[in-house]
Amino acid sequence: MEGTAVAVCEILKYLIIHWRCETARISKGALLEGELVISIEALNSKHQANTLHCVTTIASAGSIFGGLVLKKFLKEIQSILPGLSAELSWTSEETSYSQDVSGVTPFQMIFEAHEKPRTLMTDSLVIKNFLHKVITVLPKIRFNFSVKVNGILSMEIFGAENEPTLNLSNGIALVVNHQHYVSTPKFGTTELLCSRIHPVLGHPVMLFIPDDVAKMGLLGELILTPAAALCPCPNVFSNQLNRISSASIFLYGPSGLPLILLNPEQPTSTTFKDTSYFINWKKYHLCMVPNLDLNFDRGVHTLLTTHLSAILTESHSVVQDSIQVAVDQALEQHHQAVKAHQKLQASLSVAVNSIMSIMTGSTSSSFRKTCLQTLQAADTQEFGTKLHKSFHEITQNRFLHHCSREVKQQLLPEKKNAEQSTEDAHENSSLELLAGTSGQVENKSLKRGSLCQGVEETRAFRSPRALNPSEATLGRAEPTAAPLTPSRNRTGPRSGLEDALWLQEISNLSEWLSPGSAS
Amino acid sequence: MAFAPRGPEASFFQVLDQHRASLLAALRKGGREPAGGGTHLATSSEVLAAIENVIQDIITSLARNEAPAFTIDNRSSWENIKFEDSVGLHMVSHCTTRKIKSDSPKSVKTFALILKILSMIYKLVQSNTYATKRDIYYTDSQLFGNQTVVDNIINDISCMLKVPRRSLHILSTSKGLIAGNLRYIEEDGTKVNCACATAVAVPSNIQGIQNLITDAKFLLIVEKDATFQRLLDDSFCTKMSPCIMVTGKGVPDLNTRLLVKKLWDTFHVPIFTLVDADPHGIEIMCIYKYGSMAMSFEAHNLTVPAIRWLGLLPSDIKRLNIPKGTLIPLTKQDQMKLDSILKRPYITCQPFWRKEMEIMADSKMKAEIQALTFLSSDYLSRVYLPNKLKFGGWI
Repeated sequence: MEGTAVAVCEILKYLIIHWRCETARISKGALLEGELVISIEALNSKHQANTLHCVTTIASAGSIFGGLVLKKFLKEIQSILPGLSAELSWTSEETSYSQDVSGVTPFQMIFEAHEKPRTLMTDSLVIKNFLHKVITVLPKIRFNFSVKVNGILSMEIFGAENEPTLNLSNGIALVVNHQHYVSTPKFGTTELLCSRIHPVLGHPVMLFIPDDVAKMGLLGELILTPAAALCPCPNVFSNQLNRISSASIFLYGPSGLPLILLNPEQPTSTTFKDTSYFINWKKYHLCMVPNLDLNFDRGVHTLLTTHLSAILTESHSVVQDSIQVAVDQALEQHHQAVKAHQKLQASLSVAVNSIMSIMTGSTSSSFRKTCLQTLQAADTQEFGTKLHKSFHEITQNRFLHHCSREVKQQLLPEKKNAEQSTEDAHENSSLELLAGTSGQVENKSLKRGSLCQGVEETRAFRSPRALNPSEATLGRAEPTAAPLTPSRNRTGPRSGLEDALWLQEISNLSEWLSPGSAS
Repeated sequence: MAFAPRGPEASFFQVLDQHRASLLAALRKGGREPAGGGTHLATSSEVLAAIENVIQDIITSLARNEAPAFTIDNRSSWENIKFEDSVGLHMVSHCTTRKIKSDSPKSVKTFALILKILSMIYKLVQSNTYATKRDIYYTDSQLFGNQTVVDNIINDISCMLKVPRRSLHILSTSKGLIAGNLRYIEEDGTKVNCACATAVAVPSNIQGIQNLITDAKFLLIVEKDATFQRLLDDSFCTKMSPCIMVTGKGVPDLNTRLLVKKLWDTFHVPIFTLVDADPHGIEIMCIYKYGSMAMSFEAHNLTVPAIRWLGLLPSDIKRLNIPKGTLIPLTKQDQMKLDSILKRPYITCQPFWRKEMEIMADSKMKAEIQALTFLSSDYLSRVYLPNKLKFGGWI
């Protein structure tokens, strides 16, 4: 069993849930804010061949875990991770942690494990996946994740603190930079100008808790708030291919931690089994080829997760209706954007042709000369090209302004996360290099088991025709990428997201596989 | 100058001549009417240069990476219109404007259509050819959508460039008719004599008319074509010769208004209106006299404040004992229009008009000119109009 990843994720989940509860007591609705450092240092084991001795440290950069009771924490963690062959201990200021701790000291925790190199690579992938999912809805938490293998360091920072977000309720905020959902494709010469998604919030719906679940201790109000968005921003690409290549569902619990459905074979999972239920195909003239290859993971860390299926069964139609409305609104936005863009393009064409008609028909050489000089064109043909381009750029800026203004109404102030951008840029370039290897993905499936607790996406369908090569870029979410035929079924238990992440890690961790490392 | 056959004796026109004299005296006293305050007749090269300036401004904006926009006067806003007794309704000098932006989804189409029509005007002026608004529309009816869009844009361009529509080489389709004591030569050299049994269509190019000749004692503007035809059939122009009759067949087109204005400017012949005794007829009369909101930017070229209301007056209904069965109740829309006219700035200096409208409002009834036929079939041309003209029955 892959222990490090499970341990890290479970410990983080525990800490975040605790942190959320403490924060909610002080200020309901406040966003969690702070930094956690996760580092794994691995050295070749002196006692076992082809094995790494891994020391994992989880620490908080500041004093964020007020009220954390050490004994209770250790007891509960060890009950969740019985198979972990490691030791949990504090390393500093242990005496500060007592039953009555009021929580002003930093937190640090270390455990050890022995793992195969491949396993550690998998663990790293899983942890990153989990961290990314957490910051998607808890954007002010920052994770500093580093892995050092025989002296070779790989570090990544996960955070969205300075990025625009959409505030939901109860201290949850959804990041809206598209890079958290798809990689940045390039369609011909058009680059992505609007970097956001524009979520449409659906009406919150109350979920009924079945009696037997309530008897188990799950009580209170459970409300599902759907949010739907097209990614990337449809306004910019309204002149591009008008189709949806995949649909993904991300499900989070009240704590802001990703949830998973327990058993894909249960009838309950029909709620999210086929996401085509949520799309009004006829209205938007869409067609689809369903791909019902599911990949649900197992993992339990809270009572809610255990009985989520039963809860969703109880409220099946309500959940479906609520999500359908949100999805419909998101698609309607796109539909209107397409129409507006077509109208705009037609109008600009008329404007350009009219100006050209006057300019070329004029007998005033000074007028013609002035026109050419103003746009720095050598001749009439170049003038026409530049004229068209100028109008196009101005309208693109206008759309971008419109997008940012539309989102601003619900957003926090926008600031670019330079590190995140750098990270994404690096990731994108890596992904582009690997575009040609997408067909090999299935050979590199992860062992899921109880490891991958962060993956809830379902791939509902793909478009019926293959994409052109320029679009074959894998991304974090389901690709606009892989050129699949409609009838293709995935044989492994992995989702496309994991494929993408795996390939990314392959490129990033290539230094691990160099001679002399743990192999 | 002889136009045979002659009408009434000279004494018949005594009051009319006195009226004309008083009008001339008023003109001399008040100074000549200001020449074309809003627009001025422009030469072809001026029009081309104006359009080129517009294009240069657009290109300069683009070079600065700014979205080009047209700044258009709000022609149809009361806040931009003032009333002057000598002119009528006309635009104020510093009026509010609106922007037609190229980067706004709402206005980009209008922006493009303005450029489209500008390019068409450019070609017309360059080639010294003319087209009507209808012609413009049909060059690409799908693009323009409807005629009203074209009409409004042409008016906006005229206002923006401060150039009358005729200088843009766009002619309005004339629907008016003329009859009576008038001769002229059209731009293409065609000689026109309106003293014929059937009426003559108002020409499309009023500006191009030359050698206008008349010795008419008055010009009668008739609201409806039906009434106009009836008067023609009754040989009114002959019986009341020398005179001129014009009809715009309802709301007058630009050329009909231009013709009336030209006849006034050239001959200062007393002008009277014959409209139905209803709010619609009164409004049409006000358009001739004071102008319209839509064309207020060209008021100085179109309005004739000297116009007098001859009939059918609401007070005539009672005076002549017109049968009540021929009267029609005012509709809700009539009431609203009447209230609107009563609130207009020019009514304050027309107390007699106001009184007539108040009679109409009080009675809540309206009457068409055709109601006079209940007195006798030719009452209008044989009794009503001659008496009105002879004894000064105008207000």
